Amino acid sequence: MNTVLMALVAVVPIAAGALAAAFAMKRISVTALDGMTRQPEIAPQLFTAMLIGMALVEALAIYTLVVTLVLAGKIVVP
Amino acid sequence: MSGSLWTVDATGMVVIANALVASIVLIVLGRFLAHGALTSGTPEGRQVVGEFATDFFLRKSRDMAHGYDRGAVVRTVTPFLGTFFFFILTCNLFVLIPLPVVNRPPTSYFSVTLALAVSAVVGNLILSARFNGPAGAAKHLFWPNPMQWVSEFTDVLSLSLRLFGNIGGEYMTLVLVAAVVPVGIPLILHVLGLIPTFVQAFVFTLLTASFLAGSMHRNERAKKARHPWFSRKQAESA
Repeated sequence: MNTVLMALVAVVPIAAGALAAAFAMKRISVTALDGMTRQPEIAPQLFTAMLIGMALVEALAIYTLVVTLVLAGKIVVP
Repeated sequence: MSGSLWTVDATGMVVIANALVASIVLIVLGRFLAHGALTSGTPEGRQVVGEFATDFFLRKSRDMAHGYDRGAVVRTVTPFLGTFFFFILTCNLFVLIPLPVVNRPPTSYFSVTLALAVSAVVGNLILSARFNGPAGAAKHLFWPNPMQWVSEFTDVLSLSLRLFGNIGGEYMTLVLVAAVVPVGIPLILHVLGLIPTFVQAFVFTLLTASFLAGSMHRNERAKKARHPWFSRKQAESA
């Protein structure tokens, strides 16, 4: 395949994945901070729940990273 | 970096050696903590540390033992979950060691995380077969949704890829940055990388525990036994 086309295609998954994960994490952290402001005494539990939520969302971004690595490995410089 | 992340070649011996070092560290630590006479009264000394380490997994396995023989469940599930957590944590912390070959955490190889994920899912199946009988295990694979067994494969993939991506990506970033700026910035990356180290070990164990709790569903049957569908008089005595 054309090297330039492969290089351009390889960038798309990770860009889209990181963008989508950023939006989801924004939502998670804003909600967690609102809850911690309302009820500071349960802040540790909210923090734990927020961390778990972020880890699961980050996993989706990592799946796209894996696709990017596979595609980037197939770029052959002539 | 010598060797590729996706293939196991001669440098794959590093994988086995590092994982063995992690196992030996864990076994030595465990024997040290469990040494001497353990008391079921007020613990002191090493027993406090040992109990602190296993307390979370004991509580989780106690919660999923409703309707089962509690001793058998707790005795089997606690080491199952605890081993995953401490092994993954120890493997992830290898990135902090400054020696050249031991530097690479075993969980930054896809083969190791795939093996861990396969052990978790197959272990779930075996544990549900042990507690529910073989018919229960078959029911777990096919019952609420006949394609439930496909989700076992996606569970393997998601568990392994999550752990590999976090820890392997952190290691790859460290190597690339250290090739450019050897001093200073790798320290910041190491410190920031401590967060995924703990969080990913915790998330792996938590997901394995919730898959296992989902396959041990006898507590629901105990609640449903008192409410038959068609007879009102019997329902009132519940």
